[in-house]
Amino acid sequence: MNAWLIAATVLLLGLVPCAIVMVRGSIVEALVGLQMAGILEVVTLLLLAEGFHRAPFFDLALVLALLTLAGTLVFARMLERWV
Amino acid sequence: MSLSSVAVVVLLVFGVGVELVCCIGVLVMRGAYDKLHYTGPAAIFGPSAIAAAIVVRESFSQAGVKAILAALLLIVANPVVTHATGRALYIRQRDHLEPDEGTR
Repeated sequence: MNAWLIAATVLLLGLVPCAIVMVRGSIVEALVGLQMAGILEVVTLLLLAEGFHRAPFFDLALVLALLTLAGTLVFARMLERWV
Repeated sequence: MSLSSVAVVVLLVFGVGVELVCCIGVLVMRGAYDKLHYTGPAAIFGPSAIAAAIVVRESFSQAGVKAILAALLLIVANPVVTHATGRALYIRQRDHLEPDEGTR
């Protein structure tokens, strides 16, 4: 296990506070938790890609960053109108 | 241990530390507006440090360029998402986007 994988594992612990906020907070606070979790996941994927020495895995981080942007925007738009 | 290895470890520790502190901030702060502040450093300093660590290790190879792209994407997208979330909260609290009467 190299430093990159250790960093990715430690970073995954950050998902716990995000999950707590998503479960216990208001609906907009849950959206903030989701936004934070998305950032963490992108960075974790970068670390895993480097840790496993697989260059194609970096595409996953790129795609997830794009999808996180779109998904959070859709949720925010939905929250201000319907929920 | 070479200088580049030390730089990689320092950048990794800094990036992961920033992310974890921001996670704690999101958990501890009260209210969505206060929580939103902590997504900023998490989307700017953390990914930048991690991308810098990857570039130090891999130079500007395919991996390095993609890491920089992912970090740039987070840096550009986060203010947009934060604005949209704040706007959603504002509209939910007041039921409209315009300022209240007499507050202009």
